Amino acid sequence: MARSWLDYKTDAWVQWCPGCGNFGILNALHRALAELDIDPSNLVVVTGIGCSGRSCYYIKGNTIHVLHGRAIPTATGIKIANPELTVIAEGGDGDMLGIGVEHFVSIGRRNLDITVIVHDNAVYGLTKGQAGPTLPSWWQTKALPGPNLHDNLNPLLLALASGYTFIARGYAYHVKETKELIKKAIEHKGTSLVQILQPCPTYNNIMTKDWYEERIYYLDQEDPNWDPQVASIDDFKNKMGTILEKMLEWGDKIPLGVFYVNLAKDTFEQRLEKVIPTYREYPPAKRPVSANGKPLVDPWILFADKVVKP
Amino acid sequence: MHGVSNSNIDLKFLIGGPQGGGIESAGQIALKTFVLKGYQVIGTREYQSNIMGAHSYFTIRVKPERPGAINFPVDAATVLDAESVLTHFTDVKKDGFMVYDSSTIKTKIKTIAPMPKPLKERLIKFFEERGMEPTAESAVKVAEENGVKTIGLPMRDLIRKVASETSAPLSRVSKTLNTIGLATTLYLLGVEPNWIEKAIATHFAAKKKVVDMNILAARIAIEYVDEHYGGPCCFLPEGPHLGKETMLATGNEIVAMGKVVGGLTMQTYYPITPASDEALFLEGHRNFELAPWAEEVLRLKKLGAVVLQTEDELSAIMSALGAAVAGARTSTSTSGPGFALMNEAISLAIMAEIPVVITVWQRGGPSTGLPTREGQQDLLHTLFSGHGDNPKIVIASGDHIEAYYDAIKALNWAEKYQTPVIHLVDKYLASTITSLHREDIDPLKATVERGKFVENPGKDYLRYKITEDGISPRAPMGKVPLTWTGLEHTEDGMPTEDPIVRDQMIAKRRRKFETIAREIPDSEKVVLHGDPDAKITLVSWGSTKPIILEAMKLLEKEGIKVNFLQLRLFYPFPVKPVLDVLTNAELVIDIEQNDLAQAAFLIRGYTGFTIEHFVKKLTGRALWDTEVAHAVKRIVETGEKEVVVSGGA
Ligand SMILES: Cc1ncc(C[n+]2csc(CCOP(=O)(O)OP(=O)(O)O)c2C)c(N)n1
Ligand code: SF4
Ligand SMILES: [Mg+2]
Repeated sequence: MARSWLDYKTDAWVQWCPGCGNFGILNALHRALAELDIDPSNLVVVTGIGCSGRSCYYIKGNTIHVLHGRAIPTATGIKIANPELTVIAEGGDGDMLGIGVEHFVSIGRRNLDITVIVHDNAVYGLTKGQAGPTLPSWWQTKALPGPNLHDNLNPLLLALASGYTFIARGYAYHVKETKELIKKAIEHKGTSLVQILQPCPTYNNIMTKDWYEERIYYLDQEDPNWDPQVASIDDFKNKMGTILEKMLEWGDKIPLGVFYVNLAKDTFEQRLEKVIPTYREYPPAKRPVSANGKPLVDPWILFADKVVKP
Repeated sequence: MHGVSNSNIDLKFLIGGPQGGGIESAGQIALKTFVLKGYQVIGTREYQSNIMGAHSYFTIRVKPERPGAINFPVDAATVLDAESVLTHFTDVKKDGFMVYDSSTIKTKIKTIAPMPKPLKERLIKFFEERGMEPTAESAVKVAEENGVKTIGLPMRDLIRKVASETSAPLSRVSKTLNTIGLATTLYLLGVEPNWIEKAIATHFAAKKKVVDMNILAARIAIEYVDEHYGGPCCFLPEGPHLGKETMLATGNEIVAMGKVVGGLTMQTYYPITPASDEALFLEGHRNFELAPWAEEVLRLKKLGAVVLQTEDELSAIMSALGAAVAGARTSTSTSGPGFALMNEAISLAIMAEIPVVITVWQRGGPSTGLPTREGQQDLLHTLFSGHGDNPKIVIASGDHIEAYYDAIKALNWAEKYQTPVIHLVDKYLASTITSLHREDIDPLKATVERGKFVENPGKDYLRYKITEDGISPRAPMGKVPLTWTGLEHTEDGMPTEDPIVRDQMIAKRRRKFETIAREIPDSEKVVLHGDPDAKITLVSWGSTKPIILEAMKLLEKEGIKVNFLQLRLFYPFPVKPVLDVLTNAELVIDIEQNDLAQAAFLIRGYTGFTIEHFVKKLTGRALWDTEVAHAVKRIVETGEKEVVVSGGA
């Protein structure tokens, strides 16, 4: 029997402010997991610190709530240790693109098969509304004592430059569409990003529900032939101009959907398998470490390069 | 001289030269020569934070049984470039010898670009005061005045001679420079040419052309020495371990070996001196064949471990923690600066009860400090790392053998007690090579334990189940839904700020450390070496151990009887055993390579006992047994509070 989204819910009280965009994201994720019929025992959700970081308590699975900015490296260790797990790393814009941006970049270089979900409310919600890395300069959201002096970064372009092989953007209140994006991201083999525009009614009084809904549109609705897949050099030449243009579009119009998919790159798991032939069958988490408590190796044989034989 | 007793053999020599110039390789050949001949050795490398050109040197000591320390002056120095001559001309003892290159001897101090300015100034003043030219030649003269025999090799001619007898290009042949110098030294120390040739063949192994060229170079060197200086008076007898398989490994390598033997399945790291060689060695051996006894049990031939280079130390520790919650047996490895970045994660690992071993290879601080030099300055840093109440196991290894077994034990403890274990080691250990026999690192002496690791948790599994011993069963991810967290939590891992649960959880984690304190025997926490009734007690920790043990022998000869309290486990701390020894002594002397006397500070905090006398070395150079002995003697005789030693170029 296929699972229902209720199978992924926990009984914890969801402690976000009324109307918070995180509810939509959580809902979309629950439904995506159910439609993919992922066994909660095989599901891993790693979250950083922030309002969004609480998500791990609301999802039934193997969950871990770590440090601010460090969901991605934790997820990296988990996925490498057991590549059979479905691994999702979630965090806020501050978490993923501020304090943890080095990991956001580096995961792309590995193309490890994990899904990165950024709850992007352009503010630091949990610390009461300071400017986040995606808040444009000179904007002044309500908790700021003065205008924001930093330019906003573009998560999609950063992901592209870093080597992510699946890049999408959704909108928190569009549960159905966001669910589809998350499903595709999870199904994609390689590092995928889903940036989810997330209204924060409590602190972001500029990028509100209305503000977003006046601007957002879906790439595949505007252009029914929209095909983000880049599989060859020719695709690259023909499509990258448009893809970049769409990734850069931000203002009166904000595109949503899948921007970029690259199936040509090998995943980190495949790379590991090339250098460690036993990796697939016996990855670090599923490997014997002893033979009835005795070591597996004889250092005098394994480290023969260090032995001087008479 | 065959048949003569080998028991008094104690040889010390150094090989100096520019970094990247093959000093390391020459040192290895020298060590192999003596190991083949049946001796035990240590060799330690002093080098600068530089890739090529700066001066570095390798010091070797040879004895029938494993030497515990190096010291100066040495019996011989191979110093083929002007900077080496000028750095080491006072390092050779009277009647010792110095092998140098006579073709570069006119070099002026001023023109030696890599030489550090303060040394240049000291040398220029030194020669000025003696009315001598500031050149390498003057250094050779001073050495001669001091009774050192100087052996000038016309390197350019000798290399041309090697070239004329091979078809290799001159650029390749000139790489035999160190072999020429080394062969000269070994020969004059009394090693027969056949042992030198055997060591060269062993060292370059499969590279036949390289072997042949280096053997030729050694022969040409020996011929020249015979002709111009006469050979050695007599040859060394064979050592007691002739014919024994011997491992030559650095501290970095021995820890890596311990980890593999100890069942490590994943190591993460971000490059830093002096730690990264450990991870690189691991990576070089990540695929392995199972030993016969393991193959028989598991019916498996091959396995592998993952070594992951991460983007920084935050990622190194976090991905190690991630792998651990997934069920891997993990460690990471770093030095002080990298460990500083791991701080927050240590705290997470304590709260979330995640097993991980962090091997900390200390170097000279603060800050970037002396990045390639010895330091024992991170005891307090590691012990008190992590915000909040922050108990974790901290163990310091005294030598290669301890480091090997500690690496295994640390992995066991981490998994058994689900806590970070900090394995404290240092640069001296990292870059010191020592000879080890099968009984020293016997794989079957080690056991691999995982504690309450449950492969098949039931449906009602609770990650943070409150138990009597404070340890909750640990299930890997991928079995049943479960939650790990850095927030205070209920037994099922859900966050809570409830005051009653908070107290219960704190008590549970405290009980865990009481279990640890109880289960780890005192003998693994602290070791008293020497006569328990001695009236003088030396206190130290880490890689000073074998050095102090050697110093004790020197002191004994001077009629000073001491014992030595070696601290091993800093948390949980063995308060009673330490206090018992200290209160029994009339004089306690603390020996450390940090300025704060960090261990003494801890002893005072833990036991209330105040140590009043200190020996310190802070230059980042290897500590000598002779320095320790002199310093202790001085304190015993004068009652001085502190003696700071500083030997070594
Ligand atoms: C190392 C560290 N620094 C600072 C904090 C405080 N802190 C908690 S949440 C947060 C920002 C959260 O913003 P974001 O990641 O965008 O998540 P949101 O709350 O908006 O979902 C900060 C700075 C922390 N927990 N850890
Ligand atoms: S502060 Fe903003 S992001 Fe946080 S819960 Fe409230 S509405 Fe959501
Ligand atoms: Mg945010």
